[in-house]
Amino acid sequence: MKTNKLINASLLMAALGVYTQVAAETLTIVIEDIRDASGTVQVQILAGQAQFEGEGAEAQFLEQAVEGTLTITAEDLPPGEYAIRIMHDVNSNDELDANFVGMPTEPYAFSNNARGMFGPATWEDARFVLEGEVTQVISLVH
Amino acid sequence: MQRREFSKLLALLACSWPAGALAQASDADWSELFAQALEEFPWLAAWGNIDRDHYVSDAAVSGRWPEELNGTLYRTGPARHEVYGYRNHHWFDGDGMVHAWRIGGDGVRHQARLVETAKVKAERDAGRALYPGLAAAPPGAVGLTGPDDLNLANTSILHHHGRLLALWEAGSPYEIDPDNLSTVGPYSFAEPGGGSSMRGVPFSAHPRVDVDGSVWNFGYASAAGLLVFWHIGADGELRNAGRIAVDPMTMPHDFVVTERHLVLLLPPFHYRPRANADGFLNMHEWRPEDPCRVLVVDKNDLSSHYFLELPAQWVFHFGNAWEDRSGVIRFDAARAPDPSIMTQTFTEIMRGNPDYGRAVRHYGYRLDTRARTISEESMLEPGVFTEFPSIDPRVGCRQYRKLVFLSQSEADLAEHGTLNEVNLFDIESGRRDWFRYPDTQIPEEHLYAPRPGSEPESAGWILGTAFDWRRGRHIINLFNAEGIADGPVASAELPYAIPLGLHGKFVAG
Repeated sequence: MKTNKLINASLLMAALGVYTQVAAETLTIVIEDIRDASGTVQVQILAGQAQFEGEGAEAQFLEQAVEGTLTITAEDLPPGEYAIRIMHDVNSNDELDANFVGMPTEPYAFSNNARGMFGPATWEDARFVLEGEVTQVISLVH
Repeated sequence: MQRREFSKLLALLACSWPAGALAQASDADWSELFAQALEEFPWLAAWGNIDRDHYVSDAAVSGRWPEELNGTLYRTGPARHEVYGYRNHHWFDGDGMVHAWRIGGDGVRHQARLVETAKVKAERDAGRALYPGLAAAPPGAVGLTGPDDLNLANTSILHHHGRLLALWEAGSPYEIDPDNLSTVGPYSFAEPGGGSSMRGVPFSAHPRVDVDGSVWNFGYASAAGLLVFWHIGADGELRNAGRIAVDPMTMPHDFVVTERHLVLLLPPFHYRPRANADGFLNMHEWRPEDPCRVLVVDKNDLSSHYFLELPAQWVFHFGNAWEDRSGVIRFDAARAPDPSIMTQTFTEIMRGNPDYGRAVRHYGYRLDTRARTISEESMLEPGVFTEFPSIDPRVGCRQYRKLVFLSQSEADLAEHGTLNEVNLFDIESGRRDWFRYPDTQIPEEHLYAPRPGSEPESAGWILGTAFDWRRGRHIINLFNAEGIADGPVASAELPYAIPLGLHGKFVAG
């Protein structure tokens, strides 16, 4: 599915004449401050504001959690603007657990280590340009 | 992955913070402005800054402290108003300092300690002010992960099931060691079955202790549009919790509890979320043409509720409430026509602009739960302005007759222009007795301290602190409740003064 998406995206860009050849960018995501090896770390790479605020993802990863640092490399991504959303599903219930008023009680994070001021982080806070090789070092929020 | 759920939850991250507004201000240095104003208005020292994180001293005693009075007055309040050179733009943005005034046969001893909140620690590590407040954000402010990033533990005290908790308006209680005032950390009430669903849920600063020793409270989560209700048993374990959606959300600070109901006033200070607001008050809009909603909640079913309406108004504090057999609730409040005391006065004072809008008057309310009507009327003569109402704690949530509060009278204002009288008011007879503090002292909240073994609301004491701005001294005073106009019967004075605090509790023993 990921491969299909990438092909589709590349074809579209080629059709639009944006790129004369298929670019294949590499995004390295270093996830820090994982305090518990239980459960999974789920990573979404979001292409554009619509994905950030709505549904869908350019790519997703599901990794067994490790204590400390986890590095994920996403290859063959088309160049462009992205954001990353991460959650540590400590109890493996496939949800980001929340308290009585909906605040996450499991670790999470955004690219750029973005945090909102009096609200959630926005696309503006979390977006970055992927061109060539990019590394995002992101600490989980606990 | 449950993407929809994930996104939705993150959208709720912006729960609730205490308010702060105004203050795009100028770029002028507020520390400098305040220092200049202090030369002209020396009493502004009451909004100055602490010069250390820990104070301890015996107090110099005068008068006669009664042998039967043994216990500790715990208080908290915003105290650190300047963080690494950045002066806060709102009185309520000061980092909390918890005080213990220990009163016993051999004297009065005082201790005060800055609460080691997550904010205090993070700013110490960074060596600068990091976080936005009610009215403004320091340069280079960082983003937030939730309300507890801003928790100041600076508003009120709850002493319950053997724990001493310093409360803030919109986050977790902070547990404090009652003996040495060191900070234990954010506190979570035990939940049945070891759950943790209430962890980090806002717990407001004015919980009410019911006759069975259980505690009621609410919290507001602005971005989630939820009011939360807490009921905690005398043993400290959560008994029940409820949620009610409120749209638009506002900033309720206090509430009342009766035999059967919880009652909140929801002023038309509407929450208007917007990105990149630099102060939480700036995310609210005062709409005086809208009513003040009155939310009535069934204690036995925290989802069962209805709304009534009053004219637009702003209330920080209630005294008490009770409900008779016919379902009529009576309560009282220090009522302002608008929130300007919050949005302007308490901001302007931080840069040395004394701008008291004397408008807070004491009102009585009559809420008929069967007819579903509510009415209000002034309890005091015009020209008397009140705040910090309190009661004999033994009549909390039940029929009461006497109120303690601070006031000022338009005809006899103090040089410092703020509250300068402490009162005992009899609601039934309308009799008001008061003591007028000397102009060199600014009184803080005064509390009713029961005489051991006495009947509720009978001869007891009134205990309160004051800031002597001329001499730079903090004072604690004791009055006989029935002779308040005669002035303090005993006092104790410290060799220092600490910026004005907010609320406290007297813990006997």
